[in-house]
Amino acid sequence: MMEWLRRPWPDHRAERTLGAVSLFVFVVVVAMAVFVATKAWPIFQHNGLSWLSGGGDLESEINRMTVATTKPAAAVYHLRAWPLIYGTLLSTAFALVLGLTIAVLASVFIVELAPVRVSRVVIPMVRLLASVPSVIYGLIGILVLVPFVGQNLITTHERESVQNVIQLTGAGLAVTVVILTIMITPIMIALICEALASVPPSWREGAVALGLNPLRAVRAVTLKAIRPAIVAAAVLATARALGEAVMIQMVSGGKSFAPKPVDGVVFFFEPLRTLASAIIDYHDGIGSPALGASVYAWALLLLFSAFALSVTGYLVKLPLRKYQTRG
Amino acid sequence: MSTYSPEAQQSGSVPGAPSGRGSSGRGRRSSPMSWRWGDRVALAAAWGAGIGLCVIAAAIVLYMGYRGIQYLRPGLIFTHPRVSESGADSGGFLDPLIGTIVLTVIGIALALPLALASAVWVAEYGRPSWLARVVESSIEIVAGTPDIVIAIFGLAIFQLSLFAPFSFTSQGGGVYGNSFIAAGAMMSLLALPPVYAATRDGLQAVPGHMREAAFALGKTRITTIRRVLLPSVRSNIATGVTLGISRIIGSTAIVLILLGATLRIETQGSVPGIDLLRGTGSSLTTYIYDNSPAGEGGAPQKAYAAAFLLLVFVLLLNLLVDRIGRAQASSTGMTPIGAVV
Amino acid sequence: MHRIRRLSVALTVAGVLGVAAPAAANATPLVTISGATSSYPLVDLLANKYVKLHPHKVRFKITQGGTTVGLANVKDGSDTIADVAQEPNGSDAGLVFYPIAKYAICVVTNKSNPVTNLTPAQVTSIFTGKTKTWSSALGGATASGPIEVFTRTSVAGVLTSFKSLLLEGKSVESAATEESTEGQLRQAVESAPDGIGFLSNYQANKGGLNAVEFNGVACDQATAASGQYQGVADFYEVTKGDATGAAASFINWIDKSPAAKKIIASQWILIG
Repeated sequence: MMEWLRRPWPDHRAERTLGAVSLFVFVVVVAMAVFVATKAWPIFQHNGLSWLSGGGDLESEINRMTVATTKPAAAVYHLRAWPLIYGTLLSTAFALVLGLTIAVLASVFIVELAPVRVSRVVIPMVRLLASVPSVIYGLIGILVLVPFVGQNLITTHERESVQNVIQLTGAGLAVTVVILTIMITPIMIALICEALASVPPSWREGAVALGLNPLRAVRAVTLKAIRPAIVAAAVLATARALGEAVMIQMVSGGKSFAPKPVDGVVFFFEPLRTLASAIIDYHDGIGSPALGASVYAWALLLLFSAFALSVTGYLVKLPLRKYQTRG
Repeated sequence: MSTYSPEAQQSGSVPGAPSGRGSSGRGRRSSPMSWRWGDRVALAAAWGAGIGLCVIAAAIVLYMGYRGIQYLRPGLIFTHPRVSESGADSGGFLDPLIGTIVLTVIGIALALPLALASAVWVAEYGRPSWLARVVESSIEIVAGTPDIVIAIFGLAIFQLSLFAPFSFTSQGGGVYGNSFIAAGAMMSLLALPPVYAATRDGLQAVPGHMREAAFALGKTRITTIRRVLLPSVRSNIATGVTLGISRIIGSTAIVLILLGATLRIETQGSVPGIDLLRGTGSSLTTYIYDNSPAGEGGAPQKAYAAAFLLLVFVLLLNLLVDRIGRAQASSTGMTPIGAVV
Repeated sequence: MHRIRRLSVALTVAGVLGVAAPAAANATPLVTISGATSSYPLVDLLANKYVKLHPHKVRFKITQGGTTVGLANVKDGSDTIADVAQEPNGSDAGLVFYPIAKYAICVVTNKSNPVTNLTPAQVTSIFTGKTKTWSSALGGATASGPIEVFTRTSVAGVLTSFKSLLLEGKSVESAATEESTEGQLRQAVESAPDGIGFLSNYQANKGGLNAVEFNGVACDQATAASGQYQGVADFYEVTKGDATGAAASFINWIDKSPAAKKIIASQWILIG
């Protein structure tokens, strides 16, 4: 046996073995989908798809699930998780809009406008922002930003106006969106810079020759040309934002509350909870049947969104091939 | 409202123009003073965005540095953590530090063979092509899956009774599912995409004549890969591994869910070596989390100290990726593409 | 050459198996404990002392999660002992409750809040949300502004005991912020000048908080031991059926040994 292993392998055996090992990743992906879906099944069984909608009091539903230990009654599985989905959508949408704007501006700055000395400093700084672990972002958020917002930005009047429903502690939508934006912007900058740099310079020079100033030239020609890259960057950043769990759990206030836009400025100070931060909050209840199934259901939703985003990203990157940029 | 007036340019005054960049704009650019108001705002916004991000990055590093120097003492790195009544004598973070190192080793050890095999197969063989696309897409899906979902998947797997030897079984028959090997296995999924991408790109960038020369000498494909191609993409692999390590040490969610959350490393069973794999512990990231107000919060000073150490590690890894990238660029004229964020 | 290699591989495998098999048979028993965050510091100190005095006899694995989580884990067999901070009720059939110590539940406010005493009616009205602002109507100097109420999540035994002992059985208002552990509740009140909450006396008397007098009686070890203070509850160690084996020896040791009593008396109150 050892002899057979130690002789030089023929190519076909090597190819088969390597191919089999490579397929292991595919097995892992399938296993992920299967296992998480199986464990989440009880929620679908008892709620159908309406667990995605709202209308109940999520906190008391979860309380009921936590105290029900073995073989809970069917009513315990009742779940209306819309506040979580709403919180996820809110924080991701705001961070994406803010982040994309900043990313495009900064990328144009780095590639077109900045002197070489300046961009040689800016690029490592942006890469640094991308590699800071999320728990450190959360630490700075919870020790610096949340007290700052709570003590300096929220007035007593604002606190009293929502006192019957919710308490404002500074941890909420504003801090979450700010830190999330800082986290996802570098990812977008990397992609957009690559795309900007690979647009043939003659396109931009042609626009300048026709009388546009450099910034206008960029806007009229280059940005339109890299639209697929911008969309790809947005898709990648959304995937990152959706999956951010620890940082959001630390600064979002931890209440399954759906912030109300009608509250005006207070809307930005209201606490929220996202799907990912809820998984962190309740993961030690995963042994209990009903709560465990809920946690797996939220994970399934995140998995499904990540998968959909992957597919979208792939479809969007297809046109990029013609610029020979790496997707 | 002229934006480009040849008369003004020829008089030689081009105030405020950025220095020449590449093939365009060598002293013939229009000055921002002559632009429309909206364009000037956009220019200011672009500068603001770029400089602003730098300021934020510098602020984060400086603030963590300030707090770190304030609270980090060398003794902390080498002392075991202790449960105590006050935050004062709660010891250092030696166990979380060891935990991080152990997880990184397990993660890379599991990811490296898998990533290398997949990259080699896709780059050098890759038949049938639909199968290669399946492998590529699977790795991309794993790359795009959030850490928290990978962690939950790990819990679902390792709580099966099939995997009971990998953690421990409590009295009622429930498999605990938390152990170093469980967390390490999921960490390897984190490190897999960077190593795979870097290796595959490196292999694809190796010029064809190297392979042809080896075949001309009578080598089989697998021997060529082993003796010629893989050694030539060593720095790509190194870049990928460094990026993978960076992802592993920064991950909190997986450790929170899969490592049992014991302050000290607690081994399980009595076979030396295996008992560490089956045991529970914590990592630097969960130590920071637990000592912050989100956890028990007893000691934000310890959290700052550990966070500073973690940030230093990440910065060093960043520098390493840069260094490898520059070394390879100067030696072969190609940059490892994995070096970009 | 190959024979030597084959032989060494076989020897290594035999060696590992030879070490593993008898080692597995002689493994020290493992007692897993989970439950209340309020009794965790006490049980952790007791377990550490027990292991120091009886080395190599038993190993402990202590986690938290809240009283209800501990009870659920014991009921379905995944843990040996549950730390419980509330009284047994009807749904705990089949479980045996061993009291190990008493603790007092203190109403706490931020250090900057000058309020010193609250009557039972005032406490009920604040926590149920009827009284919404700090004002001198609460008797003497207080902080100003809206009252921020902090409470525990529903798994907490301290919450159940607080409701029955000091809140006249009523429930805390739903707008209150829920914290999942005692440590987090303490931190929340420490950082909110308008905050109010409730903690076990061990956490409340750590410093950094203002432990308010309840009906004129201060909340500390002395008043709790003497019976003067009203909000005193029990910590229990709970097992499924009677405790056996290593768990039984541990609980017995807590009940009888002077070393254990010394630990309990340091911050908590002895039973009987």
